[in-house]
Parts: sequence; C-alpha cells; structure tokens
Amino acid sequence: MESFHDLTIKKFHDGLLAKKFSALEITQAYFARIKEKDKEIDAYLSLAESSASREAEAVDVAVAKNEEIGVLAGVPLAIKDNILIKSLPATAASKILEHYTAAYDAGVIKNLKREKMVFLGKTNLDEFAMGASTENSAFKTTKNPHDTTRVAGGSSGGSAAAVAAHMAIAALGSDTGGSIRQPASFCGVVGLNPTYGAVSRSGVIAMASSLDQVGPIAKTVEDAALLFKAIAGKDPLDATSTDADYKNLTTPRLEDIKQLTVGLPDEYFIPGTDQAVAKEVEVVIEKLKSLGMKFKKISLPHTKYALSAYYIFVPAEVSSNLARFDGIRYGVPAGSKRNGTTLSDIYLQTKGQQFGAESKRRIILGTFVLSSGYYDAYYEKAQRVRTLVKRDFDEAFRDVDVLLTPVAPTPAFKIGEKADDPLAMYLCDIFTIPLKLAGLPAISIPTKSAASLAHGELPIGFQLIGKKWHEADILGIGQFYEKI
Amino acid sequence: MAQTISKEELHHLAELARIKLDPKEEDKLIKDLANILAHFEELRALDTKTVPPMTGGTDLRNVFRDDTERENTNQGEGTLAFPESENGSLKVPRVFEE
Repeated sequence: MESFHDLTIKKFHDGLLAKKFSALEITQAYFARIKEKDKEIDAYLSLAESSASREAEAVDVAVAKNEEIGVLAGVPLAIKDNILIKSLPATAASKILEHYTAAYDAGVIKNLKREKMVFLGKTNLDEFAMGASTENSAFKTTKNPHDTTRVAGGSSGGSAAAVAAHMAIAALGSDTGGSIRQPASFCGVVGLNPTYGAVSRSGVIAMASSLDQVGPIAKTVEDAALLFKAIAGKDPLDATSTDADYKNLTTPRLEDIKQLTVGLPDEYFIPGTDQAVAKEVEVVIEKLKSLGMKFKKISLPHTKYALSAYYIFVPAEVSSNLARFDGIRYGVPAGSKRNGTTLSDIYLQTKGQQFGAESKRRIILGTFVLSSGYYDAYYEKAQRVRTLVKRDFDEAFRDVDVLLTPVAPTPAFKIGEKADDPLAMYLCDIFTIPLKLAGLPAISIPTKSAASLAHGELPIGFQLIGKKWHEADILGIGQFYEKI
Repeated sequence: MAQTISKEELHHLAELARIKLDPKEEDKLIKDLANILAHFEELRALDTKTVPPMTGGTDLRNVFRDDTERENTNQGEGTLAFPESENGSLKVPRVFEE
C-alpha cells in the first residue's frame, strides 16, 4: 500500500477502483495513524471507529460487486464537532454539550452519507466556533502540525490540523468570520467558505446565523471542489439555502480562467502585515500573471470598519442563539435539587459554570448592544456599516471578477500569545471578515505545497474572493495555480 | 470618551443573560469590554444616516411553504437528549416558588 500521506480524494478513488487497497484498510490505517499522531496534535475530540468501519465495509462490498461508486465513496473524513452526525457526540467544544448525542444528521452529513463517505470522528474547535486558535475549546488546544508550539488557527483548527497531519483525507469546517480559511492558511491546507446560502446549515450548531456557512478543508483545491459539489444545494430544513446553477466546479478550463481580471484591494496590502506574508502573496501574483491573468488595483474604502461592525452584530446573534443552552433543554443542570432551587437559579448556575470565557464575553456584549438605549448606537449602526461594506464589494465587482488578498496578517502564532487579549484575537480576522458581511465565497490556498516548505518555514495562505455564486471562478484559478 | 460598562451595569446584563459571574471574571470582563468598546469608537466617524441597515445575510425573499402534511424528523429521538425523564414525561425543576 502506498503512503497515505499523499492520498487525495482522486488518488484514493483511483486506488480503490484498481483494487490497490480496500476502503476498510485505508480507514483502519487512518485510525492507527490518529492513535499515534493525535497524542501530539489534539485534533480530534471523539472517534467513530465502529461506525466508520461499517461505512467503509459497505463501500468494499459495492466495489466487490462491481457496482458503480462515486468519487467520494469510502473517503475518510473528519467533521467539525459543531456539525451533527446521528448517534455521535456533538459538543461544539463546550462543557454544556459534553454529554450531548446528536439525534439526527445535519443536511451536509445526509448529502455525504448518500455519497457513502466514511466519518472518522469529530474535530476540535473554539467553543461554539468562537475564536481564532482553538484555545477557547473547553477540552483541549489543537497544535499546529508544522510547529506544535503554535496554534492550528480557528475556529476549525481541529479539522485543518487533522488534514495537514494526514489524520483524514479531507474535512468539513464552518466559517463565520474566517473559521475555515484562517486555520487552513495556518496549517497549509485548502479551505473554502461558500456563498451564504450555498450549503445547508440544518444540524449545524448556530453561532451567528446571518454569516455561518459550512465548507470543505482539503489537501488540494480539486478535493475541496469535489466536496463542495456534494454538500451544495437547497435543503428544506434551512430556509436560507438555495440551488445555484454550478458549472465547471471540478473541471475548469484555462481559456475561461484567463479571461478573469483579478482585483488587488489597497486596504489589504498594508504595513501591519508580516513581511513573509506580503512576500509570499507577491510571488503568487507573479505566478498567476505567468498564466496570462490580468490584475488591477482597486479600493474597498470601508474595509477598516468591517471588524467593528462584525463584533457588534455577531455577539448580538450569539446572545440569541446561545440562550437555548440553559441546563434544561441542553446541558446538565447545575446546582442542587433541594427545594428552594428555582428555575432561574439553575439557568444562572448552569450558564455561569458551563460556558467558557469567550462565550460569556460575547453573550454579555451582545446583550449590551441590543439593550434599550444602546441599540441604535451599536447594533443598528453596525447593520448600516454592513451595507457600506457590501456596497464596496458590489462596486469592485463591476471592474474585476475576483479579488486576491492575504488570508491572515501573520503565519500561525504561538500558543498563549493572544489567549488573554480578546481584541488581539479578533484582529486576526481583518482580511477574512469583510467579505462575510457581503455573503461572498472565498478560498484559502497555501502559497507553497507542504513538501516545498523549507525546514522551520510556516505555511502561508492567499485568499481568492469571488462574486456571489461564483465559486467556480476561485476554485478554477486555484486548480490552475496548483499546477504551476 | 469611549463607552464603558460599570459593575452595576454588568450585573444587570448578566442577570438578563442568566449568567452567574464570579468576582474575578467580572473584573476581567469589564476590562475586556472597555477595550472592545473603545475599538468600536471608530464607527462614530462614519456618517450612516442615509444608509439603510442590512438585516441579514440573504437576498432571498420570504415565501410560504405548501400547507401540506410533513413527516416529522426527530420528535421522540430529540427528547432522548433531555437530561431527566420519568414515566415518559420530561422532568424539569420546579418553576414556581412555594
């Protein structure tokens, strides 16, 4: 059996059909790898060995009977632990859901089960997907596979690290302000944030409903495209989801790609950005020029206000979405059951003891910005700013087809470096947040393959932002970039 | 001057959100919230009087579904996650004080 370090979805599928290995062998090999490697990385919160083996065996039976199987069949995946898989834990890395077992499959999981994919386990995240380092997980901090003294990024740090450390072929994450793209950038893998409404959120534990999207994390852009194709589409259980007419997601044509003009927004090429990041992104631009692509400088003047607006309306949405975790409907009720303990006492104790610091901070902040007397100055103001940020993008996309920017101002930072300073942590997302306000798709792609990183060099990602429903543009450029 | 949240205001917000905070957490929260609110000050410079607020992420228009029978997806199994039950009924702590 060839080294599974090189396995992509495509290579796995070809090997499976050529009977080089069985799906069960590969699944078992991944569990062996996880048991050895994850002691060091802490990417997984729980493993699903018995159900994964059954899922893999079903694919092997189909192959043995010469039944036609899809390209995703038998592919071992890691799933972020805020996405429900029936009968498996779904903790969202929160104490309050420590003992919760999902009663149904998320919409995206239903789609992937139809494709006969194999679910290895559930991956670590910042509690309820709120953070940029997985340090807000109630259970553990995921380490960066390229340097275990550094963070894997967040909030989908477990999913990104699992793929980067060869503990899954690919993964699903969720992105509210950068939670797929920033960890992908830090860990040297590909991460796609789809257009708002492209993918169902049914069965995904809600954080900020006007922004949350589920998307793939993978080793190659092609793999990300294959997974995206499988999860995209309307789900009656998510009223914001819709069917888009996607074409050429996995089969881009160079003549189409060459027609695209790439915008370089001034506000994303700023002095505060790490030298290595700035240099790597320059190299990417030169490489894409060699493909024949045209570039144009543009401006998104309200960029600097996006972060403040985001951190006003996101906590507002959080304070509403997290209200259900009260020790009655979810969680273990805290406090004694003696007579005299009121329902209110149980709420106060449960939330006080079982929510982490960032959850409490956002709930309190959200309660504040929504409260009478402050609503206009904060919440409504932020929503007006959101309109301005969206208009910037509308304007830019009249001149250009895609935008190219860095993903994060720095490579992966040290564990603990920003843990006590929430504002510093929020500022990690300055390049990934603005497009979310406009509901746009964006992808993070490593500037270099993992194999070509020098000893001690940290991965860096670049970001391509597309027009709404134009995932094919950014996935297409990405697929050609990887071939250069 | 930038907005700050006093201890009394924090107690009120925590009560509204039904979160019991310990005194050490309160001090850290007051400091963190002051820093975050100071950052929000930059928005004041922006004139937004004529800009309409964006109230959600989607451009889709609301529609009604057909008023037909639907299969219920998870009632029953959904209740298995409930912390306590007795004889098929879900158990909750007393709501009314004696």
